[in-house]
Amino acid sequence: MTLSVVNAGASYKAISKPNSSLSSSGKIRVVLLLTVIPCCIAVGFAWLGAWLVLPFVGLEIFALGFAFYHVNSHTEDYESICIDGDSLVVERRTRQQFSQFVLSPYWAKLVRHELPNGELRLGLLSHGKEFEIGRYLTKKQRELLAGQIYKRIGTPYK
Amino acid sequence: MSTATAKHDDHGHDSHGHPTGLMRWVKSTNHKDIGTMYLWFSFTMFLFAGAMAMGIRAELFQPGLQFFQPQVFNQLTTLHGLIMIFGAIMPAFVGFANWQVPLMIGAPDMAFPRLNNMSFWLLIPAALLLVASIFVPGGAVAGGWTMYPPLAIQGGLSMDMSIFALHILGVSSIVGSINIITTIFNMRAPGMTLMKMPMFVWTWLITAYLLIAAMPVLAGALTMMITDRHFGTHFFNAAGGGDPVLFQHVFWFFGHPEVYIMILPAFGILSTIIPTFSRKPLFGYASMVYATTAIAVLSFVVWAHHMFTTGMPVAGQLFFMYSTMLISVPTGVKVFNWVATMWKGSMTFETPMLFAVAVVFLFTIGGLSGLVCAILPVDIQVQDTYYVVAHFHYVLFSGAAMSIMGGVYYWLPKWTGHMYDETLGKWHFWLTTIAFNVTFFPMHFTGLAGMPRRIPDYSQQFAEFNMISSYGAFALGLSQLLFLYVVIKCIKGGAKAPASPWEGAHGLEWTVPSPAPFHTFETPPVVK
Repeated sequence: MTLSVVNAGASYKAISKPNSSLSSSGKIRVVLLLTVIPCCIAVGFAWLGAWLVLPFVGLEIFALGFAFYHVNSHTEDYESICIDGDSLVVERRTRQQFSQFVLSPYWAKLVRHELPNGELRLGLLSHGKEFEIGRYLTKKQRELLAGQIYKRIGTPYK
Repeated sequence: MSTATAKHDDHGHDSHGHPTGLMRWVKSTNHKDIGTMYLWFSFTMFLFAGAMAMGIRAELFQPGLQFFQPQVFNQLTTLHGLIMIFGAIMPAFVGFANWQVPLMIGAPDMAFPRLNNMSFWLLIPAALLLVASIFVPGGAVAGGWTMYPPLAIQGGLSMDMSIFALHILGVSSIVGSINIITTIFNMRAPGMTLMKMPMFVWTWLITAYLLIAAMPVLAGALTMMITDRHFGTHFFNAAGGGDPVLFQHVFWFFGHPEVYIMILPAFGILSTIIPTFSRKPLFGYASMVYATTAIAVLSFVVWAHHMFTTGMPVAGQLFFMYSTMLISVPTGVKVFNWVATMWKGSMTFETPMLFAVAVVFLFTIGGLSGLVCAILPVDIQVQDTYYVVAHFHYVLFSGAAMSIMGGVYYWLPKWTGHMYDETLGKWHFWLTTIAFNVTFFPMHFTGLAGMPRRIPDYSQQFAEFNMISSYGAFALGLSQLLFLYVVIKCIKGGAKAPASPWEGAHGLEWTVPSPAPFHTFETPPVVK
């Protein structure tokens, strides 16, 4: 999880991304490597009469494929918070979905939720609606982000 | 314009609280909590199966039936094997993986934390099923941990319970493996390329691959067994035209990689401890990676060396004999590299290093006796004798279990924030090592003299060596209580451990404070 902050004069931009150390093509190669040999093994045993190995390999490959699909679908995820003059823009890409919220920094309030499990959730509250921010960050990074946004838009709601 | 990356150089925080009480553990998705639970679970199972071993050795203390009827004795040997393999050794290594892999690659947690929680909690019903099978009519499974038909087909309710337990354990292992693989591939810190990963992470990556390839084979074999038992199929039932030997092929196709599943992470622990206390980098890192990969590949083409006496074409026997011998080459590379790492190193012998050096020495003995067993004409003589029992205990106890003990001592300061009692640790090491050798070395002689395994009574000629083995076993069992005491003492207090308590230790896990904070690597470390 990375949090990059860019300060340019009056404007502020924070971009956060989850960890992703393997490219999409790399993931395909890994999945192929992980599935080809179990498939060969299962076909070999099926040929010898022990065909019940096949469905278990199939289930496993399904689980493995789903896990890598899930991981890969989040490769491009990011969240960007940009405060520039009288606009506060939150952009978020989650899987293939892109969303953008434009708020007024004069109306928006930072909201902190201390969860029972010790975690911290951040939100931006404006016109009765709350948008979660800092989703890809750990608690310490959220604290940092909250401090930086607080400097620019005012007192956070606890 | 200024660009900054969020940075916290004060890692000494754990000020933000974390969940407490029972539900912290039940619902935890934190890799450190789950690792701790795995380690305690495996230690509990280790003591349970160890107590069974005490029962076995008490019965074998002298010839004649002393405490158990043969059926009960065979239940003890079977459950001892099943629980030690699936309940103690494997979960212990998964516990290490949970604790160390994210710390070593600079990841904040595992890729799928909820699945991680599920993987652990699946162990509990599986363990309960295995243990509860003792109390059902007919008692626990008694046909050996390999569950060969026809005995397994004829067994009672306990057989079904054991099969179900192994299925659950298999699901846990596969889910855990997928989690570890996705974590290692996708969550490495910037700069942590594959060839910069610590050897422990490499060995676990390859182990996870072995689990992915081998576990469905076991699941298939167990399912065919249960359909033979209850649904009228005849995969392995000779009475209906099935082939019991096919089960052995299917089982050992899983079973031999399983041996490496239990030893490769141990190699990773050794490759971490030895450079630390030699104060030198690991000799031949790349060759270690390739040797581990070679061992994993070869582990799939040697399975029938467990079945030399079941009958197979001579060409098959020769192939499996030579392929088995071939494994000694990459294994020899590893042993050479460990010795070369120690060579001219500034060595000190703290408890983890004592365990590591002992493992290199004792595992080599186990490897050499394995090479003896690989020789076809010799294997036909020693098949199902105590020589084989000696061999696999030298591999699995001194190779796997003692590596786990060394690893626990090595990382205990990081886990607990306290230094363990070095004097007691050394006492534990010496007691364990001496008692282990007293227990298992004489078994080479009883085996070569012809004493079969899995029998509660034996000929008078084996009495002396069996008595020595039993004395050793009781000492070995009792010395593990000292291990428990040292660990609990360390958790409760002791000298404060610094972030890096070992002078020669390198790696990302030593850059965070001790004990490791509930959340680590909130800012990804940069690997140079």
